[in-house]
Amino acid sequence: MHYHCKECEKSWSYPLENCIFCGNELTVSDPSDYKVIGCTEVNVPSIASESVPYYVYLLEDENSNRLIQKSSRKYEMGDLFELNDISFSQLKIGIIGSGLLGSQLAEYVLQHGYLTILKTRSDENRSQASNKIKKHISKKLSDKEVEKYLTNLEVTTDYSDLYDCDIVIEAVSEDIRIKKEVLAQLSSVCKEDAIIATNTSSISIDLLADVSLRPDRFIGMHFFNPVQKMDLVEVIIGKQTSIETQDKIVQFSMDLNKKPVIVKNCPGFVVNRYLLPQINEAVKMLEEGVATKEDIDSAIKLGLNHPMGPFELADLIGLDVCLSILEVMSEGFNDDKFIPSKLLIEKVNEGNLGFKTGEGFHKY
Amino acid sequence: MYITGIGRTKFGVLSKSLIELAYEAMYNAINDGPIDITDIDAIYVSNFLGGPLNGQLHLNSAIASLLPDMNIPIIRIETACASSSVALNQAIQSLSQFSNVMVVGVEKMTDSKYMNPTDAIAMAADNILDYQNGLIFPASYALIAQQYMLKYGIGHDVLEQVSYLNHKNSNLNPLAHFSYKDVSMEMIRQSPIVASPINLFDCSPISDGAAAAIISKDRCSDRDIEILSSHVSTDSISISQRKDLTSFNATKTAVKKAYAEAGINPDDLDIVEVHDCFTISELIALEDLGLCEPGRSCDMIENGDISIDGRIPVNTDGGLKANGHPIGATGLAQIFEVVTQLRGEAGKRQISDHEVGLAQNIGGIGGTAGITIMRG
Repeated sequence: MHYHCKECEKSWSYPLENCIFCGNELTVSDPSDYKVIGCTEVNVPSIASESVPYYVYLLEDENSNRLIQKSSRKYEMGDLFELNDISFSQLKIGIIGSGLLGSQLAEYVLQHGYLTILKTRSDENRSQASNKIKKHISKKLSDKEVEKYLTNLEVTTDYSDLYDCDIVIEAVSEDIRIKKEVLAQLSSVCKEDAIIATNTSSISIDLLADVSLRPDRFIGMHFFNPVQKMDLVEVIIGKQTSIETQDKIVQFSMDLNKKPVIVKNCPGFVVNRYLLPQINEAVKMLEEGVATKEDIDSAIKLGLNHPMGPFELADLIGLDVCLSILEVMSEGFNDDKFIPSKLLIEKVNEGNLGFKTGEGFHKY
Repeated sequence: MYITGIGRTKFGVLSKSLIELAYEAMYNAINDGPIDITDIDAIYVSNFLGGPLNGQLHLNSAIASLLPDMNIPIIRIETACASSSVALNQAIQSLSQFSNVMVVGVEKMTDSKYMNPTDAIAMAADNILDYQNGLIFPASYALIAQQYMLKYGIGHDVLEQVSYLNHKNSNLNPLAHFSYKDVSMEMIRQSPIVASPINLFDCSPISDGAAAAIISKDRCSDRDIEILSSHVSTDSISISQRKDLTSFNATKTAVKKAYAEAGINPDDLDIVEVHDCFTISELIALEDLGLCEPGRSCDMIENGDISIDGRIPVNTDGGLKANGHPIGATGLAQIFEVVTQLRGEAGKRQISDHEVGLAQNIGGIGGTAGITIMRG
């Protein structure tokens, strides 16, 4: 944004109200087309820009207003630059489900400049989700900016409102029956060329693809909690997912400032296939009395420099979720190492599911 | 030398950025008097923690971005909490070359992405001797308060009264950090201990804000306030390097010179702004400025001497305690208050006699002191 004094013909790059030279009210320049007039590829990370390489562009509009912008995208000199932060992208993104991940995802997508529509089950959830997102974004933005963002957010309970979305990400609970119901609804309302993505941590993409009625435009996008902080997206490629769909979702992930990794559909994908056997092994050690849960947590944190111990992490993920992922993997691979330990099953049967219920391996 | 314009922002937890706050104070100072921005020959910028808290240094150039195409000399001054009285002092010195100089003080302390303010403020003390040994800022003043209380046999109740008086004054100052807050003696007494014997209501808050003043060689209007004297003194940085913690030599040295140059004595003062970063420092200031004998500041408080309608009103804006303490702006906020009072423009908190005023601004635990004496 640029702020001009017409009288003095001076301009500022800060949101100021009046001109110190003449006192006149400043006018805000409408964001216009910025052309790339300088660029550099940066290979050295800094705290503000940890992942490299990235590009920094010097931009100029027709009124000679200049701007610096960072992007992961490659532009040539003279290209028009798409300003995510200033003009909202024309892509419309639908998010299904206002649970823990769904509402975070809607907020994150909105903040990255997309027209965002969040589908909730009930009117109550609708107002809750909408208030939560407003509260979060208000923390860092001015009232004007918040207003601008909120005009790009729609929260609905009606599937038919998703008819013009370009990408829909389904983030309902990890239950194949519910996911199938949601996908059936989406397949009938979404426009023909829309991509439908499922945010699943363990369910096979191929089991869901046919329900979507567009298996070539169906893909997995596995985000991690908390969405604001975790940079990874596992992009899950099903048997019928087209290369165009894959390319579009990889680009979309990068535009969201995430690091996409491409994973062939298989139980647990990469992260959970690696993590869950570790958690399972920690529980087995506890069963065998090798060490206390506190000492196992300490050993892993201090010896491997993990930010959380396996029991702390399992409690955070939810023991029911851990169990279901292990079950999916032990079935899928027919391998004993994935068989859930007895203690984990007991905890889940007792209803001690971790942080969310106040008790798992630890008490909260 | 005259103060020909003053301006400030509200103090508190504000949404504006460092640079936007500076602009608001500068804009208000320009619109307060007859001097235009294009008449300004140089600017002194006061700021303490732009680097650690905001990731922003090179502030003289940042201020230049607010004044497109002016290309005048701009210099940043940092002397911890005394930054703005020292910047003012340097601006006054520069009038040998210039006609009109602006001083702007700014601090953005809340919502830092980089550092906890507790650690940042501790940079005002010796890193190796003090901070590495756990002496954060309130802990320094806790040791000072303890020494003072032992030496003069006073209790924490005197400090509570200092806090109460400042909060009452801030209720009359719409720009103060705590202008809205109704503070009772009960709240003060029951507030949590920060570093014994200092509790939360002994401490000034973490504030955002900016203040600016324009200093001119010649008188420009009948609202101008004359600067009679401005002096800066220094002392060692760590309290382990001091013999007496119940008085600040930097204040005493600077004020002695300032009184002499102004040709006045403490009895001539009608309004005083002291640097009460902690309540104990207000007691010490009253004594160091010669307003009473050492150890007798409690009598001044008891007798109502320092109230708005008292013999010598102190911190009529609420002081650092309740007006707020955006560090780089604090000394200039004191100047703003003295000038407002000497002009007779202080509204609900206006004092009756208003001819001569003094501002005492200190850095760290008295390692720097800036004294300014003004006449209406």
